[in-house]
Amino acid sequence: MNPVQTGSFKSAADLSDPQREALAGVLLSLADNKRILGMRYGEWILGAPTLESGIACSAMAQDEWGHGRILYATLKDLGLDPGHLEHERPAGEYLSSELLDRPVPQWPDLLALNLLFDASLSVQVQALTDSRYEPIHYKTRKLLEEERFHFEHGRGWALRLSETEAGREALAQAFRKALVPSLRWFGRPDAEYGDLLHSSGIMLGTPDALRDRWLAQVIPVLAEAGLSELAAEAESGTELDWSDWNADRRRRGEGGPDAGTLARIRGDKNRSMLMD
Amino acid sequence: MGHLSGERLYEIFARQKREDRLEHIGTVSAPNPELARVYAWKTYDEATWFEMVVAPRDAFRAVNREEVPFTLHPAETA
Repeated sequence: MNPVQTGSFKSAADLSDPQREALAGVLLSLADNKRILGMRYGEWILGAPTLESGIACSAMAQDEWGHGRILYATLKDLGLDPGHLEHERPAGEYLSSELLDRPVPQWPDLLALNLLFDASLSVQVQALTDSRYEPIHYKTRKLLEEERFHFEHGRGWALRLSETEAGREALAQAFRKALVPSLRWFGRPDAEYGDLLHSSGIMLGTPDALRDRWLAQVIPVLAEAGLSELAAEAESGTELDWSDWNADRRRRGEGGPDAGTLARIRGDKNRSMLMD
Repeated sequence: MGHLSGERLYEIFARQKREDRLEHIGTVSAPNPELARVYAWKTYDEATWFEMVVAPRDAFRAVNREEVPFTLHPAETA
């Protein structure tokens, strides 16, 4: 691996083609995942266990959609068309995690997205915040501030549910499903995007370094919530199985958001009302 | 205010500017301080707060109205 370079890239024009392509892939993946995650939060506004948690879901949904919008907009500088990306792609072109393909059935499943997967996205954003690519800086600070509360929401609920054995079991079951996808999401240790962006100082950390940061953030909460078995599984997660990994789309296999999800994230109904 | 078992009421205080006094701006019901912080921040987001703090209602000691601290009107005796 090349040593990390210093200095800064003032604009996309300063990047090489491979760097630009790799960075666009990271930003689009973040945008797509945040757009759909926002919808998943939004689906619990009326179904959350308490009024307060429903309000929190509503706020987190708005946050994620705002982050998605900002991230899609950054892609314009990298030569992509945000309008097309937001509204015209088929499911198979979304760079979204398999965790988000369809609505989650139970509250603990939403908490798994909230505490585990949302943290993956934030660790990735953090690695871009002090990036040598300056146009990203101003856009990610507020985003990370908002994300601190998302993580705290997941933590608070993990602690709450872990007070009873039934709650702890439901939590463990939901978290176990989301654990590996959240860890794999950073990509293979030798992922091409990782080497390109890390060695040029655009992303501060290799995929494995990002995974370690995620573990350092999440494992204490799993332990606090009495999920020590799961915490141990997470720590040994370096032995991840990559056999069905789709590196280009940072997800398991083919597939993508289901038809209902796709129509809503693209805003198909809204757009059918626009008249040119 | 009705609330679920295992939940406590938390009182929220905030100020918009450093030179402002902290004011009591509202209440949330939460099972722990972690969620009380999140709920307070996300529910009372109408201003850009310089500072916000929360404390469980039962941490307050009434000085004069000992039977009914923090009541907003006579009918409420939470």
